[in-house]
Amino acid sequence: MTLVDFCNLLINGTIEGLLIALPALALTLVMGVARFPNAATGDYMTVSAYAGIGVQALGATSIVVAGLGAIAAGAAISVVFYLWVFRALRGRPPVASLVAAIGVAFFSRSMLTLFVGHDQQTFNMPLVRAWNFGGVRLLPTDLYVAAIALIAMALLFALLHLTPIGRQMRAIADNPDLARACGIRSGRVLLALWAVVGALCALGGMMFGIKAVVSPELGWELLIPAFAAMILGGIGSPLGAVAGGVLLGIASELSVPFVGPSYKIAVAFALLLLVLLLRPRGLFGKAIAAR
Amino acid sequence: MTAYLVAVGIVALIYMLLTIGLNLQYGYTGLINFGVVAFFAIGAYTAALLTLAGWSLAPAFVVAMVAAGLLAYPIGLLSLRLSDDYLAVVTLGFSEVVRLVIQQERWLTNGVQGLPGIPRIFQTLGIGEYAELATLAVLVLCNLAAIAVMLHLVRSPYGRLIQAIRDDEVAVEAIGKDPRRLKVQVFMLGSGLAGLAGAFYAHFITYLSPDQFLPLVTFYVWIAMIIGGTGRTSGAAVGSLILMVFLEGSRFARDWIPGVSEVQMASVRLALVGLALILFTIYRPQGMMGRRQ
Amino acid sequence: MTQPISRRDVLKAGAGIAAASALPGFAFAQAPATFRLGSLCPVTGAGGPYGSGMQKAIELAVAEVNALGGAGGRKLELFSEDGQSKPDAAVLAAKKLIEVNKVQVLLGTWSSGVTLAVMPLTDAAGVIQMNTSGAPAISTQDTKDLVWRFQATNDRFGAAFAVIAEKRGWKKPATMAFNNASGIGNAEGFKKAWEKKGGKVVASVVYEPNRPSYRTELQQILAAKPDVIVTGSYVPDSTIILREWYQSGQDVKWILPGWAANPDLIKALGNEAVEGVISVDSVSNENAASYKALDAAYMKAMGKPVSSNVYACMTYDMVVCLALAMEAAGPNATVAQVNAKIREVSNPEGTKVYSFAEGRKLLAEKKKVNYEGASSKLDFDQYGDVTPDFGVFVIEKGQLVRRDVVSI
Repeated sequence: MTLVDFCNLLINGTIEGLLIALPALALTLVMGVARFPNAATGDYMTVSAYAGIGVQALGATSIVVAGLGAIAAGAAISVVFYLWVFRALRGRPPVASLVAAIGVAFFSRSMLTLFVGHDQQTFNMPLVRAWNFGGVRLLPTDLYVAAIALIAMALLFALLHLTPIGRQMRAIADNPDLARACGIRSGRVLLALWAVVGALCALGGMMFGIKAVVSPELGWELLIPAFAAMILGGIGSPLGAVAGGVLLGIASELSVPFVGPSYKIAVAFALLLLVLLLRPRGLFGKAIAAR
Repeated sequence: MTAYLVAVGIVALIYMLLTIGLNLQYGYTGLINFGVVAFFAIGAYTAALLTLAGWSLAPAFVVAMVAAGLLAYPIGLLSLRLSDDYLAVVTLGFSEVVRLVIQQERWLTNGVQGLPGIPRIFQTLGIGEYAELATLAVLVLCNLAAIAVMLHLVRSPYGRLIQAIRDDEVAVEAIGKDPRRLKVQVFMLGSGLAGLAGAFYAHFITYLSPDQFLPLVTFYVWIAMIIGGTGRTSGAAVGSLILMVFLEGSRFARDWIPGVSEVQMASVRLALVGLALILFTIYRPQGMMGRRQ
Repeated sequence: MTQPISRRDVLKAGAGIAAASALPGFAFAQAPATFRLGSLCPVTGAGGPYGSGMQKAIELAVAEVNALGGAGGRKLELFSEDGQSKPDAAVLAAKKLIEVNKVQVLLGTWSSGVTLAVMPLTDAAGVIQMNTSGAPAISTQDTKDLVWRFQATNDRFGAAFAVIAEKRGWKKPATMAFNNASGIGNAEGFKKAWEKKGGKVVASVVYEPNRPSYRTELQQILAAKPDVIVTGSYVPDSTIILREWYQSGQDVKWILPGWAANPDLIKALGNEAVEGVISVDSVSNENAASYKALDAAYMKAMGKPVSSNVYACMTYDMVVCLALAMEAAGPNATVAQVNAKIREVSNPEGTKVYSFAEGRKLLAEKKKVNYEGASSKLDFDQYGDVTPDFGVFVIEKGQLVRRDVVSI
């Protein structure tokens, strides 16, 4: 493998990793605070991506406007299902919420296909050529995707660490009873949490849609890599989710010249296993969740 | 109609075997196995490859069961090191790796082209209702045997230990028993059942390809167990039946939802399944057979 | 409709309806004299981009036949299930269609896995099976000659690709294949045919579905400096691959199967990126009356041209072909008798016909017919596989323009 190839693979891996990092963040937030694996994460992404397409179809040429539409839709669907389903299941074993989340995933996907059909959609983006640095190719679109993902993560960290509501989220994640005793009204905090989760999913869905295509099973198919990223980083750790996503992305792309494009997915899981054998709680385990 | 119901029954019973195995692992010892489909796949492919190579069914089924059980050994060891959610995702990942291996190792499994022409169970009786009925009967017997073994386990001193592990692992250790060995054994036993289910599946569908072993199968088994009620022997049976009612019954929804096009019907079906799952977990928290706490 | 419905047809249909309504008791007492079709299209799952259109085309054809009073004295009755592109789900759906709805034909299966899984059931029940799958195993697994394949086999497609590449003087082809039976089949079919011609494939890659990017795979292929890339791909992955290739700016030509390089792909990428891409399709005559009639009806129903879904052409042909066979077999023919007529009404020697109405008229005059379908000329070999000519379409300014026809 030449240095040029290596750089290209590194770039590809980083971008794919950042794409996975957004849903992984959404997963880890829910895991840390509401304490169940939210299998509907992927379908929130799908619904939001379609909302973005819908906004564009209504005549908005700007991708930013489409993105805002997607975020609104993502936050809305996430909050609605919290109020309807997950709030009722608080305090029950996580697997119950997981099964309900699978139900939410099926339900929202089917409602989507009922109205928009099964065709693939694409965002209206002008195609631009890559910048070529002596064979190392960098796509402007990839840069945007990366920048937006990074900005979203920065905003999330600011929210968690600099705002009162973020501090309250972390308090609930740490110790719900203590948080309640301290007078934190968890209802409001959870509402905010689910809105943020929805927005993250929406951004993830948008980025994925811009990079690839929008189809009804877009998000569902991303679920397992996102779970892997979350676990690698350590449950409940936002920093871990991002690091996990990028690490898995890079590891699997770099392995392609050696094991081929199919087994690269297996390589990601092998890496996950290796890390967990050394650190059973992931890279950054226990960062905000005390479990 | 009868033949269709028999077919649905066979699939329900195959899921029931899977659910009993999972119930043993999770319901009694608290092991979170999200890789059920991996052991199912190993069983299916092992049995199919053997019978296609000329073996008769019974030994092939036994080998399938043993193979799945043995494969569970390393994962079982892993479960000693990892806690709940981490184990869940590792097993989930493991099942994907198993699927990828089946897909890529074409010399053995014929890859994505799949394995066609797997012999039917009781093929000698002629393909027809009777062969399928006989299959159904054998599956019922297998399920009853699995339940009997499980009940025996649960009631034996061994079984009380298993349940004690779920409730308090440290205490078990304190009385001088090795919970680790027990956990691994239970994991292997449950996975062996999944392997047996796979063998039945392969010889019922008669065609295997890697895309039949997606994580969705695992999710279905979990759904069946949760719906039925965890840690209840009857729960597994009832849960898998209800799951099939969800999945298959929604086909007949067309009769009472007029004016829906055929394409929309696919969406409506999935929506009904999803809605059922949501409502069920909200309004029937203890599962169908569980006692109200 | 190419053949205007004659007054006689209308009268006949009217008389039929009158007779049926005048004898309600009779109609109910007897089993209703319909021929029962079960469709098992991939509405969801991997075939999702095509399944809705396939289902619609079946409905259009059934309506067309029934508007003429049915075939062989019987109306067609359609029962539909979603095959979900998954063999296990399809098996239960097929069982339901066969056992509960008592269908006599099961049509519209798409993925090779689904077809291979339902074939044992249809063969056992003596039900006709019609599919659009590519895998070679389907030819050999069919024991009773009840299985009809409306899609060219992977090997035939591969051979067509090789002829096209040779004609255009390309020397260093590479292949990219979607990791399923059909994707790999096409790429390997090409490789086989190309190596037979003494050529060498410089690089090949099999990629996984549902990835956000195929840059790494593309990079591997482009590193071998091919002059043309042949794919076994579908619309979503082709969209991503071609977009990334265009953005990378490396010069290479593309040959794609027709179900991938279609108006949906052009719409997704814009005219510039797909300029010059070659699309190979079993539709070798888009001016045939059968194709034009379907195109118009499909446009009305789905809002896009039928060229966006070649599988829809195939499912449409399934129904028309079946109806002609029913007509040829005469009233109250058994499934086996209808099945025996399928080759007769589709293969050469008879007069070429382009619609059910046209064919029916000639059959009534005891003449032989040869249905020329919307999807291909629709001639079946001894395995029940179609042996089409291939249309070579080049994308020029956002339009698919037929430049050549290749016979294998």
